[in-house]
Amino acid sequence: MFHKSSQGKYWIFGGEDDLEQKRYQANQKSRKKILESGKLAVSESKLLERHEEDVIFRHYEKRMVDFCNAFKPVMPKSVVGTAIMYFRRFYLNNSTMEYHPRIIMLTCAYLSCKVDEFNVSSTQFVGNLLQETPAGQEMVLEQILEYELLLIQQLNFHLVVHTPYRPMEGLLIDLKTRFPTLENPESLRKNADDFLTQAAMTDAGLLFPPSQIALTAILNSASRAGLSMESYLTECLQLKEDKETLSKMYESMRRMKTLLKKYELPKPEDVNACKKKLERIHAEFSSTSKNGLTKTCYEHLPQNGLGFKDIILVYQQFIPVVNCPDWRTVSLEKIHGESKTVCISVHVIFTFYKHIQYFGLPLFC
Amino acid sequence: MSGLTRSWICENCVEMLFVRGSGNCVQCETPLRKSNFRVQLFEDPTVDKEVEIRKKVLKIYNKRDFDFPSLREYNDYLERVEDVVSNLTNNIDVENTKLQMEQYQRENRDLIQKNKVKLTREQEEVEELLLLEKQGNEQRRLELLQEEQRQLQAKRKNKQALLDELEHSQLPATMLLAQHKVRAAKLETQIEQQKQAVKPTSLFSTGINMRQTVSLQPPPRIEEVLYQYKPVHVETYGPPVPELELLSRLGYLNHVRAAMPQDTAGGYTSALACHRAIQDAFSGLFPLKR
Repeated sequence: MFHKSSQGKYWIFGGEDDLEQKRYQANQKSRKKILESGKLAVSESKLLERHEEDVIFRHYEKRMVDFCNAFKPVMPKSVVGTAIMYFRRFYLNNSTMEYHPRIIMLTCAYLSCKVDEFNVSSTQFVGNLLQETPAGQEMVLEQILEYELLLIQQLNFHLVVHTPYRPMEGLLIDLKTRFPTLENPESLRKNADDFLTQAAMTDAGLLFPPSQIALTAILNSASRAGLSMESYLTECLQLKEDKETLSKMYESMRRMKTLLKKYELPKPEDVNACKKKLERIHAEFSSTSKNGLTKTCYEHLPQNGLGFKDIILVYQQFIPVVNCPDWRTVSLEKIHGESKTVCISVHVIFTFYKHIQYFGLPLFC
Repeated sequence: MSGLTRSWICENCVEMLFVRGSGNCVQCETPLRKSNFRVQLFEDPTVDKEVEIRKKVLKIYNKRDFDFPSLREYNDYLERVEDVVSNLTNNIDVENTKLQMEQYQRENRDLIQKNKVKLTREQEEVEELLLLEKQGNEQRRLELLQEEQRQLQAKRKNKQALLDELEHSQLPATMLLAQHKVRAAKLETQIEQQKQAVKPTSLFSTGINMRQTVSLQPPPRIEEVLYQYKPVHVETYGPPVPELELLSRLGYLNHVRAAMPQDTAGGYTSALACHRAIQDAFSGLFPLKR
């Protein structure tokens, strides 16, 4: 239940400022990391600012929701809600400059299918990426599998997410049973549903318990239809005496409604500009992640035994140091006397690195 | 393997060595006696050495846990014993350790003696039990064999009787066969009955021997504080949820999808889903107290 869950203990924050603070810190940390890694071609202006990251985040969030809504077989709402929550929690503590949201969003959706017991095989999952060829889908699947563990770790292994959909059902049942003044609570359902989908795209999930979000949805929909539900709160929820709790609840509901009003989809020009910046950053600095490429290297290439690992380690060490002229020959001779195998291995590595412009150094074999 | 010099020699060579009468170790020329050679029990020679040393040490340091006034002191004693054993095994400070052992032996001579007697008595009891068990097993095995023999013989006799009758009697063959079948069936039931026959045993069902005198004193009473039941209270930060059983009476179940026969077969009731929805709706509804 929510009151005992990890969500209630660790992932409900006091206010929007707390969240903003965390995101700012993540952004700063990532900027420092990129600047410190010594890639001399970078300047401060090329890195993403906080508001630009926000634009990217909202854009990819919308894309994820569209992906989930177009999913075949039909994805239940709780799965979509869980995926969005994972995405939001991940980028609370990490920056989009370090991990590209395109892959993270697919990994979130994949993980949430597993956690919520919505059984889809991995091939079925990537089959929903209609714009890719089957080979492209395979590659995406591999990337998803690489990032899955990272995602789980960044979620601090708190995988159970309580979404507001079931509380909304519960409140409707309660209304029908104990509040006969309201004639047809079913009429509130559609508006409440819309409210909840909108709320999922805001930070409401990180600030309020899901039952409060559901209650706000229902009250909002009732006030839209012109019905009063004050007496429900005072009578049925027994808050007649407890004025303080009642006022606090109204306060939270007001905050939630403001959050929803503030949300707007980012403009396409902004999105394009920020995306270009993001792509450049990713292309230059972060793609040589040790996780990704070494693994693909190991899988696809002939095992040369120890020499191979040495080469890759050396490359990883030497990547930042662009100016050192003959480091390749020097380092490789140091590792292995058998220059032949080394030559061949080097050649094969180069064909696997995606960013040849960085390694515009000629081969020496 | 030799205990003193840690050299390994096969049995034949040991014989050869002592036939000649000289008693020198092949590798290091230390004078040896035949009694020093033992068959090695463990693969790792260090382990074997330690086991031997431990046996010797524990012959001397043989105090038991009830000899000590507190658990802490018993543990300290055990630690000292381990130190002695490890010193001797790894050849650290051998002289000193041996002196310590001798000193301890002198000081606690009678205690050691008493404990030795106790140990031997316990060992004897354990051996007795083992012997009894083995005897019981043997007996059972023999009885089973005998039973099988008897059954085989009975069957053979029956067949032989049938053949004889077929030869000599005047009755038609079908009647004889029928008679034979009846007899065979009777034999089977007899065998079954024999198997189920309760043998007079010497043990009660609780395992106590029939001849053993059991003390009829009541077990010692242990008085403790009486347990008071306090129901678990979970803070849900929300209005109280009605109990599962009351849901239908309060009318909640009219608004939930009814359970189909397939669902009820598996144990599902609509009250379960309703209860869960209500719980989720009420959990965390009131603001958290931060």
